[in-house]
Amino acid sequence: MADDREAQADFGRRRPAEPAPAVTPPDRSASKRSQTVSTVLVASAGLAALGLGSLDRTAPSKDVLVYVDAAACAADGIRPADECRSDYATARAAYPSTAPHYGSSPECEGHHGTSHCQPDPNAPTQFVPRMAGYLLGRRAADWVTPEPVYDHRQGHGGHDGSYCTGSGGKVSTGSGGHASSAKLKPAAAKATSFGGFGGSGKSFSSFGSS
Amino acid sequence: MRRFACGERPGWREIAREAGFAFHTIDGAPYWDESHAYAFTLTEIEEVIEAPSAELHALCLAFAADAVEDERILASLAIPEPVRDTVRASWRRGDPSLYGRLDFSYGGSGPAKLLEYNADTPTALYETAVFQWLWLEQGLAEGRLPAGSDQFNAVHERLIARLGEIAPPGLFAFAADSSGPEDLGTAGYLQDCAVQAGCETILLDLGQIGLRADGAFCGPDERPFAGLFKLYPWEWAFQDAFGPAVAAAPTRFLEPPWKMVLSNKGLLAHLWAREPGHPNLLPAYFEGDPACASLGAFVRKPLLSREGANVEMFSAEGTRLAGEPGPYGTEGYIRQGLAELPCFDGRRPLLGAWIVGDAPAGLCIRESEGPITGDGALFVPHLIEPA
Repeated sequence: MADDREAQADFGRRRPAEPAPAVTPPDRSASKRSQTVSTVLVASAGLAALGLGSLDRTAPSKDVLVYVDAAACAADGIRPADECRSDYATARAAYPSTAPHYGSSPECEGHHGTSHCQPDPNAPTQFVPRMAGYLLGRRAADWVTPEPVYDHRQGHGGHDGSYCTGSGGKVSTGSGGHASSAKLKPAAAKATSFGGFGGSGKSFSSFGSS
Repeated sequence: MRRFACGERPGWREIAREAGFAFHTIDGAPYWDESHAYAFTLTEIEEVIEAPSAELHALCLAFAADAVEDERILASLAIPEPVRDTVRASWRRGDPSLYGRLDFSYGGSGPAKLLEYNADTPTALYETAVFQWLWLEQGLAEGRLPAGSDQFNAVHERLIARLGEIAPPGLFAFAADSSGPEDLGTAGYLQDCAVQAGCETILLDLGQIGLRADGAFCGPDERPFAGLFKLYPWEWAFQDAFGPAVAAAPTRFLEPPWKMVLSNKGLLAHLWAREPGHPNLLPAYFEGDPACASLGAFVRKPLLSREGANVEMFSAEGTRLAGEPGPYGTEGYIRQGLAELPCFDGRRPLLGAWIVGDAPAGLCIRESEGPITGDGALFVPHLIEPA
Protein backbone atom coordinates (compact mmCIF):
# COMPACT_ATOMS: atom_id res chain seq x y z
CA MET A 1 0.00 0.00 0.00
CA ALA A 2 1.02 3.56 -0.47
CA ASP A 3 2.32 4.42 2.90
CA ASP A 4 4.53 7.39 2.34
CA ARG A 5 2.94 9.41 5.04
CA GLU A 6 5.97 11.63 5.36
CA ALA A 7 5.31 13.32 2.07
CA GLN A 8 2.36 15.26 3.28
CA ALA A 9 1.04 17.85 0.91
CA ASP A 10 -0.82 20.68 2.53
CA PHE A 11 -2.52 22.55 -0.22
CA GLY A 12 -3.17 25.44 2.08
CA ARG A 13 0.54 26.09 2.26
CA ARG A 14 1.02 26.17 -1.45
CA ARG A 15 -0.68 29.50 -1.93
CA PRO A 16 1.64 32.23 -3.13
CA ALA A 17 0.53 34.76 -0.51
CA GLU A 18 2.23 32.94 2.34
CA PRO A 19 1.61 32.95 5.25
CA ALA A 20 -1.73 34.75 5.32
CA PRO A 21 -4.19 34.03 2.52
CA ALA A 22 -4.57 37.02 0.21
CA VAL A 23 -8.29 36.90 0.75
CA THR A 24 -9.94 35.81 3.92
CA PRO A 25 -13.69 35.98 4.27
CA PRO A 26 -14.61 38.05 7.31
CA ASP A 27 -16.11 35.08 9.08
CA ARG A 28 -14.53 31.96 7.68
CA SER A 29 -16.34 29.80 10.19
CA ALA A 30 -19.57 30.67 8.41
CA SER A 31 -18.26 29.60 5.02
CA LYS A 32 -19.73 26.69 3.14
CA ARG A 33 -16.42 25.06 2.35
CA SER A 34 -13.71 23.11 4.12
CA GLN A 35 -11.27 25.21 6.12
CA THR A 36 -8.30 23.22 4.94
CA VAL A 37 -7.94 20.35 2.55
CA SER A 38 -4.85 18.22 2.55
CA THR A 39 -4.12 14.68 1.53
CA VAL A 40 -1.48 12.40 2.96
CA LEU A 41 -1.35 9.54 0.45
CA VAL A 42 -2.88 10.84 -2.74
CA ALA A 43 -0.58 13.77 -3.29
CA SER A 44 2.60 11.79 -2.85
CA ALA A 45 1.65 8.77 -4.92
CA GLY A 46 -0.91 10.11 -7.34
CA LEU A 47 -4.38 8.70 -7.52
CA ALA A 48 -3.52 6.34 -10.35
CA ALA A 49 -0.35 5.12 -8.73
CA LEU A 50 -1.57 4.32 -5.24
CA GLY A 51 -0.01 1.14 -4.04
CA LEU A 52 -2.20 -1.89 -3.87
CA GLY A 53 -1.94 -4.77 -1.45
CA SER A 54 0.57 -7.37 -2.50
CA LEU A 55 -0.78 -9.61 -5.22
CA ASP A 56 1.25 -12.52 -3.90
CA ARG A 57 -1.35 -14.99 -2.71
CA THR A 58 1.00 -17.82 -1.96
CA ALA A 59 1.78 -18.45 1.66
CA PRO A 60 5.45 -17.73 2.18
CA SER A 61 7.28 -18.75 5.30
CA LYS A 62 6.98 -16.30 8.12
CA ASP A 63 9.64 -15.60 10.69
CA VAL A 64 8.18 -16.38 14.07
CA LEU A 65 9.31 -17.01 17.62
CA VAL A 66 8.62 -20.24 19.46
CA TYR A 67 8.84 -20.63 23.24
CA VAL A 68 7.72 -23.27 25.70
CA ASP A 69 6.02 -20.63 27.84
CA ALA A 70 5.78 -16.93 28.58
CA ALA A 71 8.73 -17.00 30.98
CA ALA A 72 11.02 -18.40 28.28
CA CYS A 73 9.77 -15.73 25.91
CA ALA A 74 10.40 -12.94 28.42
CA ALA A 75 13.85 -14.30 29.27
CA ASP A 76 14.82 -14.14 25.60
CA GLY A 77 14.20 -10.38 25.57
CA ILE A 78 13.02 -10.13 21.96
CA ARG A 79 9.45 -9.31 22.88
CA PRO A 80 8.39 -7.35 25.98
CA ALA A 81 7.34 -9.57 28.87
CA ASP A 82 3.76 -8.33 28.92
CA GLU A 83 3.36 -9.16 25.23
CA CYS A 84 4.87 -12.60 25.88
CA ARG A 85 2.27 -13.16 28.56
CA SER A 86 -0.74 -11.91 26.61
CA ASP A 87 0.27 -13.86 23.51
CA TYR A 88 0.76 -16.97 25.62
CA ALA A 89 -2.68 -16.48 27.11
CA THR A 90 -4.14 -16.19 23.61
CA ALA A 91 -2.44 -19.39 22.48
CA ARG A 92 -3.34 -21.23 25.66
CA ALA A 93 -6.98 -20.23 25.33
CA ALA A 94 -7.06 -21.45 21.74
CA TYR A 95 -5.47 -24.80 22.60
CA PRO A 96 -8.54 -26.85 23.65
CA SER A 97 -10.52 -25.98 20.55
CA THR A 98 -7.77 -25.80 17.94
CA ALA A 99 -5.63 -28.81 18.89
CA PRO A 100 -5.81 -31.55 16.25
CA HIS A 101 -8.01 -34.40 17.44
CA TYR A 102 -7.31 -38.09 16.85
CA GLY A 103 -9.47 -41.14 17.32
CA SER A 104 -6.73 -43.11 19.10
CA SER A 105 -3.54 -42.61 21.03
CA PRO A 106 -1.33 -44.44 18.46
CA GLU A 107 -2.70 -42.24 15.70
CA CYS A 108 -1.84 -39.15 17.71
CA GLU A 109 1.59 -40.42 18.68
CA GLY A 110 2.30 -41.35 15.07
CA HIS A 111 2.05 -37.71 14.24
CA HIS A 112 3.42 -36.06 17.33
CA GLY A 113 5.75 -38.63 18.86
CA THR A 114 5.68 -41.04 21.76
CA SER A 115 4.26 -39.70 25.03
CA HIS A 116 3.35 -36.39 23.46
CA CYS A 117 -0.38 -37.10 23.46
CA GLN A 118 -3.17 -37.24 26.02
CA PRO A 119 -6.93 -37.83 26.06
CA ASP A 120 -8.97 -34.69 25.44
CA PRO A 121 -10.44 -33.85 28.89
CA ASN A 122 -13.59 -32.60 27.21
CA ALA A 123 -13.96 -35.62 24.96
CA PRO A 124 -12.07 -38.52 26.57
CA THR A 125 -12.51 -40.85 23.61
CA GLN A 126 -10.34 -38.52 21.56
CA PHE A 127 -6.64 -37.75 21.80
CA VAL A 128 -4.86 -34.47 21.42
CA PRO A 129 -1.15 -33.59 21.42
CA ARG A 130 0.18 -31.81 24.47
CA MET A 131 0.85 -28.14 23.91
CA ALA A 132 4.62 -28.05 23.46
CA GLY A 133 4.85 -24.31 23.36
CA TYR A 134 3.50 -21.39 21.39
CA LEU A 135 4.50 -19.29 18.47
CA LEU A 136 4.26 -15.54 18.14
CA GLY A 137 5.55 -12.86 15.78
CA ARG A 138 8.96 -11.30 16.11
CA ARG A 139 7.22 -7.98 16.53
CA ALA A 140 3.65 -7.11 17.45
CA ALA A 141 3.46 -5.35 14.07
CA ASP A 142 3.97 -8.65 12.27
CA TRP A 143 0.35 -9.54 12.97
CA VAL A 144 1.06 -13.18 13.62
CA THR A 145 -1.79 -14.69 15.56
CA PRO A 146 -0.26 -16.44 18.58
CA GLU A 147 -1.11 -20.12 18.56
CA PRO A 148 -0.10 -23.37 20.26
CA VAL A 149 2.57 -25.55 18.66
CA TYR A 150 2.90 -29.31 19.02
CA ASP A 151 5.86 -31.62 18.86
CA HIS A 152 6.21 -33.16 15.46
CA ARG A 153 7.57 -36.66 14.95
CA GLN A 154 10.64 -36.46 12.76
CA GLY A 155 9.78 -37.18 9.14
CA HIS A 156 6.05 -37.55 9.64
CA GLY A 157 4.08 -36.15 6.70
CA GLY A 158 7.29 -35.62 4.78
CA HIS A 159 8.57 -32.76 6.86
CA ASP A 160 11.31 -32.53 9.40
CA GLY A 161 9.89 -29.57 11.22
CA SER A 162 10.39 -29.44 14.92
CA TYR A 163 6.81 -28.43 15.58
CA CYS A 164 3.50 -28.20 13.84
CA THR A 165 0.41 -26.08 14.32
CA GLY A 166 -3.19 -27.12 14.78
CA SER A 167 -3.97 -26.31 11.16
CA GLY A 168 -1.03 -28.33 9.87
CA GLY A 169 1.50 -25.55 9.53
CA LYS A 170 5.14 -26.57 9.73
CA VAL A 171 7.39 -24.84 12.22
CA SER A 172 11.10 -25.19 11.58
CA THR A 173 13.57 -24.02 14.18
CA GLY A 174 17.03 -23.16 12.97
CA SER A 175 18.89 -25.75 14.97
CA GLY A 176 16.16 -28.31 14.99
CA GLY A 177 15.99 -27.84 18.71
CA HIS A 178 14.02 -25.60 21.00
CA ALA A 179 15.34 -22.31 19.64
CA SER A 180 13.39 -19.12 19.76
CA SER A 181 13.75 -18.18 16.09
CA ALA A 182 11.70 -20.31 13.77
CA LYS A 183 10.06 -20.39 10.37
CA LEU A 184 6.39 -21.08 10.04
CA LYS A 185 5.23 -22.56 6.75
CA PRO A 186 1.46 -22.46 6.81
CA ALA A 187 -0.38 -25.60 5.75
CA ALA A 188 -0.68 -25.98 2.00
CA ALA A 189 -4.42 -26.34 2.01
CA LYS A 190 -5.52 -22.85 2.83
CA ALA A 191 -8.99 -22.31 4.10
CA THR A 192 -8.99 -18.77 2.77
CA SER A 193 -10.19 -18.30 -0.78
CA PHE A 194 -9.55 -15.35 -3.08
CA GLY A 195 -11.00 -13.81 -6.18
CA GLY A 196 -14.65 -14.02 -5.22
CA PHE A 197 -15.43 -10.36 -5.82
CA GLY A 198 -15.28 -8.36 -9.02
CA GLY A 199 -16.56 -10.95 -11.46
CA SER A 200 -19.89 -9.34 -12.23
CA GLY A 201 -18.80 -6.06 -13.67
CA LYS A 202 -15.96 -3.91 -14.80
CA SER A 203 -14.94 -0.42 -13.92
CA PHE A 204 -17.54 2.27 -14.02
CA SER A 205 -17.81 5.82 -12.89
CA SER A 206 -21.34 6.26 -11.95
CA PHE A 207 -22.30 9.84 -12.44
CA GLY A 208 -24.67 9.19 -15.29
CA SER A 209 -28.14 10.55 -15.10
CA SER A 210 -30.61 12.25 -17.31
CA MET B 1 -27.19 30.50 -11.13
CA ARG B 2 -25.04 31.57 -14.03
CA ARG B 3 -22.26 30.18 -16.14
CA PHE B 4 -19.25 32.39 -16.59
CA ALA B 5 -15.90 32.25 -18.34
CA CYS B 6 -13.05 32.42 -15.86
CA GLY B 7 -10.15 31.12 -17.91
CA GLU B 8 -7.95 28.25 -16.90
CA ARG B 9 -5.28 28.64 -14.27
CA PRO B 10 -2.01 28.67 -16.14
CA GLY B 11 -0.26 25.43 -15.33
CA TRP B 12 -3.28 23.74 -13.75
CA ARG B 13 -2.22 20.43 -15.26
CA GLU B 14 1.04 20.66 -13.36
CA ILE B 15 -0.92 21.51 -10.22
CA ALA B 16 -3.12 18.49 -10.85
CA ARG B 17 -0.07 16.30 -11.31
CA GLU B 18 1.43 17.51 -8.04
CA ALA B 19 -1.86 17.00 -6.26
CA GLY B 20 -2.10 13.44 -7.56
CA PHE B 21 -5.16 14.11 -9.74
CA ALA B 22 -4.23 11.90 -12.69
CA PHE B 23 -7.58 11.42 -14.37
CA HIS B 24 -8.30 15.05 -15.28
CA THR B 25 -8.03 13.79 -18.86
CA ILE B 26 -9.48 10.36 -19.62
CA ASP B 27 -8.48 8.46 -22.76
CA GLY B 28 -7.30 11.71 -24.30
CA ALA B 29 -10.60 13.50 -23.68
CA PRO B 30 -10.88 16.29 -21.12
CA TYR B 31 -12.74 15.54 -17.91
CA TRP B 32 -11.81 18.46 -15.67
CA ASP B 33 -12.74 21.75 -17.37
CA GLU B 34 -12.05 25.04 -15.58
CA SER B 35 -12.36 27.36 -18.55
CA HIS B 36 -15.85 28.11 -17.26
CA ALA B 37 -17.55 27.79 -13.92
CA TYR B 38 -21.00 28.14 -12.40
CA ALA B 39 -21.92 30.76 -9.86
CA PHE B 40 -24.78 30.52 -7.37
CA THR B 41 -26.13 32.87 -4.77
CA LEU B 42 -25.89 31.73 -1.17
CA THR B 43 -29.67 31.67 -1.03
CA GLU B 44 -29.79 29.34 -4.02
CA ILE B 45 -27.27 27.00 -2.43
CA GLU B 46 -28.98 26.93 0.95
CA GLU B 47 -32.62 26.98 -0.07
CA VAL B 48 -32.61 25.30 -3.47
CA ILE B 49 -29.88 22.69 -3.04
CA GLU B 50 -28.90 22.15 0.59
CA ALA B 51 -32.23 22.19 2.40
CA PRO B 52 -34.06 20.04 -0.18
CA SER B 53 -31.14 17.57 -0.20
CA ALA B 54 -31.42 17.16 3.55
CA GLU B 55 -35.15 16.70 3.28
CA LEU B 56 -34.97 14.22 0.41
CA HIS B 57 -32.30 12.19 2.16
CA ALA B 58 -34.53 12.03 5.24
CA LEU B 59 -37.43 10.89 3.05
CA CYS B 60 -35.14 8.24 1.60
CA LEU B 61 -34.23 6.96 5.07
CA ALA B 62 -37.89 6.77 6.00
CA PHE B 63 -38.52 4.84 2.79
CA ALA B 64 -35.61 2.48 3.51
CA ALA B 65 -37.02 1.73 6.96
CA ASP B 66 -40.30 0.63 5.37
CA ALA B 67 -38.77 -1.01 2.32
CA VAL B 68 -36.55 -3.48 4.13
CA GLU B 69 -39.58 -4.83 6.03
CA ASP B 70 -41.79 -5.10 2.96
CA GLU B 71 -41.27 -7.99 0.56
CA ARG B 72 -43.38 -6.30 -2.12
CA ILE B 73 -41.21 -3.22 -2.11
CA LEU B 74 -38.01 -5.27 -2.19
CA ALA B 75 -39.43 -7.26 -5.09
CA SER B 76 -40.38 -4.07 -6.93
CA LEU B 77 -36.74 -3.00 -6.65
CA ALA B 78 -35.63 -6.33 -8.17
CA ILE B 79 -33.65 -7.19 -5.05
CA PRO B 80 -33.23 -10.97 -5.25
CA GLU B 81 -34.91 -13.00 -2.55
CA PRO B 82 -31.75 -14.61 -1.12
CA VAL B 83 -30.30 -11.15 -0.57
CA ARG B 84 -33.23 -9.58 1.24
CA ASP B 85 -32.38 -10.89 4.69
CA THR B 86 -28.90 -9.42 4.41
CA VAL B 87 -30.29 -6.06 3.36
CA ARG B 88 -32.83 -6.14 6.18
CA ALA B 89 -30.27 -7.20 8.78
CA SER B 90 -27.92 -4.42 7.77
CA TRP B 91 -30.69 -1.85 8.26
CA ARG B 92 -31.89 -3.30 11.56
CA ARG B 93 -28.34 -3.41 12.86
CA GLY B 94 -28.01 0.28 12.06
CA ASP B 95 -25.02 -0.17 9.75
CA PRO B 96 -23.80 3.39 9.17
CA SER B 97 -23.45 4.84 5.69
CA LEU B 98 -20.68 7.13 4.52
CA TYR B 99 -21.84 9.05 1.51
CA GLY B 100 -24.10 9.43 -1.49
CA ARG B 101 -24.91 11.89 -4.22
CA LEU B 102 -28.34 13.23 -5.13
CA ASP B 103 -28.51 14.36 -8.77
CA PHE B 104 -30.70 17.31 -9.64
CA SER B 105 -31.93 19.21 -12.64
CA TYR B 106 -31.86 22.93 -11.86
CA GLY B 107 -31.28 25.95 -14.08
CA GLY B 108 -31.73 28.99 -11.88
CA SER B 109 -35.49 29.04 -11.38
CA GLY B 110 -38.06 26.89 -9.66
CA PRO B 111 -37.24 23.98 -7.39
CA ALA B 112 -34.41 21.56 -8.12
CA LYS B 113 -35.81 18.26 -9.37
CA LEU B 114 -34.35 14.99 -8.17
CA LEU B 115 -33.29 12.77 -11.06
CA GLU B 116 -31.78 9.94 -9.03
CA TYR B 117 -29.86 9.01 -5.91
CA ASN B 118 -26.39 7.54 -6.38
CA ALA B 119 -26.42 6.04 -2.93
CA ASP B 120 -24.11 3.06 -3.33
CA THR B 121 -21.12 3.81 -5.55
CA PRO B 122 -20.88 7.51 -6.39
CA THR B 123 -17.69 8.83 -7.94
CA ALA B 124 -16.46 12.38 -8.75
CA LEU B 125 -15.65 12.65 -5.06
CA TYR B 126 -11.98 13.63 -5.10
CA GLU B 127 -12.55 16.18 -7.85
CA THR B 128 -15.31 17.73 -5.78
CA ALA B 129 -13.70 17.67 -2.39
CA VAL B 130 -10.09 18.47 -3.21
CA PHE B 131 -9.41 19.76 -6.69
CA GLN B 132 -12.49 21.99 -6.91
CA TRP B 133 -11.65 23.42 -3.50
CA LEU B 134 -8.10 24.08 -4.60
CA TRP B 135 -9.37 25.82 -7.74
CA LEU B 136 -11.36 28.23 -5.60
CA GLU B 137 -8.61 28.88 -3.09
CA GLN B 138 -6.06 29.59 -5.79
CA GLY B 139 -8.50 31.73 -7.75
CA LEU B 140 -9.11 33.82 -4.64
CA ALA B 141 -5.45 34.05 -3.72
CA GLU B 142 -4.50 35.16 -7.21
CA GLY B 143 -7.41 37.55 -7.56
CA ARG B 144 -8.87 35.77 -10.57
CA LEU B 145 -12.14 35.03 -8.79
CA PRO B 146 -14.23 37.69 -7.04
CA ALA B 147 -13.03 38.40 -3.51
CA GLY B 148 -15.34 36.88 -0.92
CA SER B 149 -16.48 34.04 -3.18
CA ASP B 150 -17.23 30.81 -1.36
CA GLN B 151 -18.07 27.25 -2.39
CA PHE B 152 -20.56 24.67 -1.18
CA ASN B 153 -17.92 22.13 -0.38
CA ALA B 154 -17.21 20.86 3.10
CA VAL B 155 -16.96 17.34 1.65
CA HIS B 156 -13.36 16.72 2.66
CA GLU B 157 -13.75 17.76 6.28
CA ARG B 158 -17.03 15.94 6.59
CA LEU B 159 -15.67 12.70 5.15
CA ILE B 160 -12.81 12.66 7.63
CA ALA B 161 -15.14 13.42 10.51
CA ARG B 162 -17.65 10.78 9.40
CA LEU B 163 -15.01 8.10 8.90
CA GLY B 164 -13.71 8.88 12.37
CA GLU B 165 -17.20 8.33 13.77
CA ILE B 166 -18.07 5.10 12.02
CA ALA B 167 -14.83 3.22 11.36
CA PRO B 168 -14.85 -0.04 13.30
CA PRO B 169 -11.69 -0.76 15.30
CA GLY B 170 -9.22 -2.76 13.25
CA LEU B 171 -8.10 -2.82 9.65
CA PHE B 172 -10.16 -0.75 7.21
CA ALA B 173 -9.86 -1.79 3.57
CA PHE B 174 -10.69 0.22 0.46
CA ALA B 175 -11.33 -1.77 -2.69
CA ALA B 176 -12.14 -0.91 -6.28
CA ASP B 177 -11.54 -2.18 -9.79
CA SER B 178 -7.95 -1.04 -10.13
CA SER B 179 -8.17 -0.97 -13.93
CA GLY B 180 -10.41 2.08 -13.69
CA PRO B 181 -8.43 5.22 -12.75
CA GLU B 182 -11.54 7.01 -11.49
CA ASP B 183 -12.64 4.05 -9.43
CA LEU B 184 -9.24 3.51 -7.92
CA GLY B 185 -8.85 7.25 -7.41
CA THR B 186 -12.10 7.44 -5.48
CA ALA B 187 -11.22 4.49 -3.27
CA GLY B 188 -7.69 5.82 -2.79
CA TYR B 189 -8.99 9.24 -1.82
CA LEU B 190 -11.31 7.74 0.77
CA GLN B 191 -8.43 5.69 2.11
CA ASP B 192 -6.54 8.95 2.48
CA CYS B 193 -9.42 10.47 4.42
CA ALA B 194 -9.55 7.39 6.64
CA VAL B 195 -5.84 7.67 7.41
CA GLN B 196 -6.45 11.26 8.45
CA ALA B 197 -9.29 10.02 10.64
CA GLY B 198 -6.80 7.77 12.43
CA CYS B 199 -7.65 4.46 10.76
CA GLU B 200 -5.28 1.71 9.80
CA THR B 201 -5.96 1.12 6.11
CA ILE B 202 -5.17 -0.90 3.03
CA LEU B 203 -6.08 -0.19 -0.61
CA LEU B 204 -6.61 -3.14 -2.89
CA ASP B 205 -8.18 -4.43 -6.06
CA LEU B 206 -11.54 -6.16 -5.71
CA GLY B 207 -9.93 -9.38 -6.90
CA GLN B 208 -7.47 -9.32 -4.01
CA ILE B 209 -10.20 -9.63 -1.42
CA GLY B 210 -10.13 -12.96 0.35
CA LEU B 211 -12.65 -14.84 2.43
CA ARG B 212 -11.34 -16.62 5.51
CA ALA B 213 -12.57 -19.84 6.98
CA ASP B 214 -13.97 -17.87 9.92
CA GLY B 215 -16.16 -15.88 7.54
CA ALA B 216 -14.27 -12.59 7.66
CA PHE B 217 -13.16 -10.84 4.50
CA CYS B 218 -9.44 -10.22 4.34
CA GLY B 219 -6.51 -9.06 2.25
CA PRO B 220 -3.67 -11.02 0.66
CA ASP B 221 -2.04 -11.54 4.06
CA GLU B 222 -5.32 -12.95 5.41
CA ARG B 223 -5.56 -10.33 8.10
CA PRO B 224 -9.28 -9.78 8.61
CA PHE B 225 -10.94 -6.52 7.60
CA ALA B 226 -12.99 -4.85 10.30
CA GLY B 227 -14.36 -2.51 7.63
CA LEU B 228 -14.47 -2.79 3.85
CA PHE B 229 -15.30 0.09 1.55
CA LYS B 230 -16.10 -1.35 -1.87
CA LEU B 231 -16.62 0.85 -4.90
CA TYR B 232 -18.66 -1.91 -6.48
CA PRO B 233 -22.42 -2.10 -6.77
CA TRP B 234 -24.18 -4.41 -4.36
CA GLU B 235 -26.24 -5.98 -7.12
CA TRP B 236 -22.98 -7.14 -8.68
CA ALA B 237 -21.33 -8.15 -5.41
CA PHE B 238 -24.26 -10.36 -4.50
CA GLN B 239 -23.99 -12.17 -7.84
CA ASP B 240 -20.32 -12.92 -7.22
CA ALA B 241 -18.93 -16.05 -5.62
CA PHE B 242 -18.43 -14.20 -2.32
CA GLY B 243 -21.93 -12.71 -2.35
CA PRO B 244 -23.52 -15.33 -0.12
CA ALA B 245 -20.75 -14.86 2.46
CA VAL B 246 -21.68 -11.24 3.13
CA ALA B 247 -24.61 -12.18 5.36
CA ALA B 248 -22.56 -13.89 8.06
CA ALA B 249 -19.35 -11.88 7.73
CA PRO B 250 -18.17 -9.88 10.74
CA THR B 251 -16.75 -7.38 8.23
CA ARG B 252 -18.74 -4.13 8.08
CA PHE B 253 -19.25 -2.80 4.57
CA LEU B 254 -19.41 0.71 3.21
CA GLU B 255 -21.79 1.44 1.73
CA PRO B 256 -23.92 -0.98 3.79
CA PRO B 257 -26.19 -3.45 1.99
CA TRP B 258 -29.33 -1.48 2.84
CA LYS B 259 -28.17 1.24 0.44
CA MET B 260 -29.45 -1.10 -2.29
CA VAL B 261 -32.96 0.15 -1.71
CA LEU B 262 -31.90 3.74 -2.42
CA SER B 263 -29.42 3.17 -5.24
CA ASN B 264 -32.23 2.05 -7.47
CA LYS B 265 -34.43 4.04 -9.85
CA GLY B 266 -37.44 2.30 -8.34
CA LEU B 267 -36.84 4.60 -5.36
CA LEU B 268 -38.13 7.47 -7.49
CA ALA B 269 -41.49 5.79 -8.09
CA HIS B 270 -41.85 4.95 -4.41
CA LEU B 271 -40.91 8.47 -3.28
CA TRP B 272 -43.48 9.96 -5.62
CA ALA B 273 -46.14 7.57 -4.31
CA ARG B 274 -45.27 8.57 -0.72
CA GLU B 275 -44.96 12.29 -1.38
CA PRO B 276 -47.06 13.08 -4.46
CA GLY B 277 -46.54 16.65 -5.59
CA HIS B 278 -43.37 17.19 -3.59
CA PRO B 279 -41.69 20.20 -5.22
CA ASN B 280 -38.32 18.45 -5.56
CA LEU B 281 -39.69 15.22 -6.98
CA LEU B 282 -40.75 14.38 -10.51
CA PRO B 283 -43.73 12.13 -11.07
CA ALA B 284 -42.44 8.61 -11.55
CA TYR B 285 -44.02 5.18 -11.91
CA PHE B 286 -42.91 1.67 -12.52
CA GLU B 287 -43.32 0.67 -16.14
CA GLY B 288 -46.65 -1.07 -16.55
CA ASP B 289 -48.39 1.20 -14.05
CA PRO B 290 -51.34 2.76 -15.94
CA ALA B 291 -50.43 6.07 -14.32
CA CYS B 292 -47.49 6.25 -16.73
CA ALA B 293 -49.99 7.57 -19.28
CA SER B 294 -50.30 10.77 -17.24
CA LEU B 295 -46.64 11.66 -17.50
CA GLY B 296 -46.46 13.58 -20.76
CA ALA B 297 -42.86 13.66 -21.94
CA PHE B 298 -40.92 11.11 -19.92
CA VAL B 299 -37.61 9.41 -19.38
CA ARG B 300 -37.35 5.64 -19.27
CA LYS B 301 -34.70 4.42 -16.85
CA PRO B 302 -33.60 0.89 -15.99
CA LEU B 303 -33.77 0.27 -12.23
CA LEU B 304 -30.02 -0.27 -11.98
CA SER B 305 -28.55 1.84 -14.78
CA ARG B 306 -25.32 3.77 -14.26
CA GLU B 307 -23.63 6.49 -16.26
CA GLY B 308 -26.84 7.19 -18.15
CA ALA B 309 -26.68 3.81 -19.86
CA ASN B 310 -29.96 2.56 -21.38
CA VAL B 311 -31.69 5.79 -20.46
CA GLU B 312 -34.19 6.91 -23.10
CA MET B 313 -36.17 10.11 -23.50
CA PHE B 314 -39.63 10.24 -25.09
CA SER B 315 -41.95 13.06 -26.09
CA ALA B 316 -45.53 13.18 -24.80
CA GLU B 317 -46.52 11.63 -28.14
CA GLY B 318 -44.19 8.72 -27.53
CA THR B 319 -41.48 9.73 -29.99
CA ARG B 320 -38.02 8.69 -28.87
CA LEU B 321 -36.03 11.90 -28.51
CA ALA B 322 -32.74 10.58 -27.23
CA GLY B 323 -31.18 7.46 -25.79
CA GLU B 324 -27.96 5.93 -24.66
CA PRO B 325 -26.94 2.32 -25.27
CA GLY B 326 -25.97 0.01 -22.45
CA PRO B 327 -26.26 -3.38 -20.79
CA TYR B 328 -29.06 -2.68 -18.29
CA GLY B 329 -32.79 -3.10 -18.29
CA THR B 330 -33.66 -6.74 -17.80
CA GLU B 331 -34.35 -5.90 -14.15
CA GLY B 332 -37.20 -3.56 -15.09
CA TYR B 333 -37.78 0.13 -15.74
CA ILE B 334 -39.36 3.20 -14.32
CA ARG B 335 -40.77 6.14 -16.24
CA GLN B 336 -40.11 9.56 -14.83
CA GLY B 337 -41.58 12.89 -15.93
CA LEU B 338 -39.06 14.75 -18.07
CA ALA B 339 -37.20 17.62 -16.41
CA GLU B 340 -34.85 18.68 -19.17
CA LEU B 341 -31.44 19.75 -18.01
CA PRO B 342 -31.05 23.51 -18.42
CA CYS B 343 -28.96 24.84 -21.30
CA PHE B 344 -26.20 27.40 -20.71
CA ASP B 345 -24.26 28.38 -23.84
CA GLY B 346 -25.15 25.05 -25.38
CA ARG B 347 -23.99 23.06 -22.33
CA ARG B 348 -26.22 21.14 -19.96
CA PRO B 349 -25.19 21.00 -16.30
CA LEU B 350 -26.29 18.31 -13.87
CA LEU B 351 -26.03 19.18 -10.18
CA GLY B 352 -24.76 16.55 -7.78
CA ALA B 353 -25.44 17.24 -4.11
CA TRP B 354 -23.20 15.23 -1.80
CA ILE B 355 -24.55 13.70 1.35
CA VAL B 356 -21.95 12.72 3.95
CA GLY B 357 -23.38 10.80 6.86
CA ASP B 358 -26.92 12.12 6.84
CA ALA B 359 -26.31 15.76 5.95
CA PRO B 360 -25.65 17.67 2.72
CA ALA B 361 -21.96 18.51 2.39
CA GLY B 362 -21.23 19.97 -1.01
CA LEU B 363 -21.89 20.29 -4.70
CA CYS B 364 -20.41 19.14 -7.97
CA ILE B 365 -21.45 19.88 -11.52
CA ARG B 366 -21.11 17.70 -14.57
CA GLU B 367 -21.68 19.24 -17.95
CA SER B 368 -22.66 17.51 -21.15
CA GLU B 369 -23.67 18.54 -24.64
CA GLY B 370 -26.58 16.18 -24.97
CA PRO B 371 -29.70 15.85 -22.83
CA ILE B 372 -28.44 12.71 -21.04
CA THR B 373 -25.40 13.03 -18.79
CA GLY B 374 -23.08 10.16 -19.60
CA ASP B 375 -19.55 9.16 -18.70
CA GLY B 376 -18.12 11.73 -21.12
CA ALA B 377 -19.52 14.65 -19.15
CA LEU B 378 -17.08 17.30 -17.96
CA PHE B 379 -16.49 18.26 -14.36
CA VAL B 380 -16.93 22.03 -14.04
CA PRO B 381 -16.23 23.88 -10.76
CA HIS B 382 -18.62 26.25 -9.01
CA LEU B 383 -18.55 29.13 -6.57
CA ILE B 384 -20.94 31.04 -4.36
CA GLU B 385 -21.14 34.72 -5.28
CA PRO B 386 -19.89 37.17 -2.65
CA ALA B 387 -22.69 38.62 -0.59
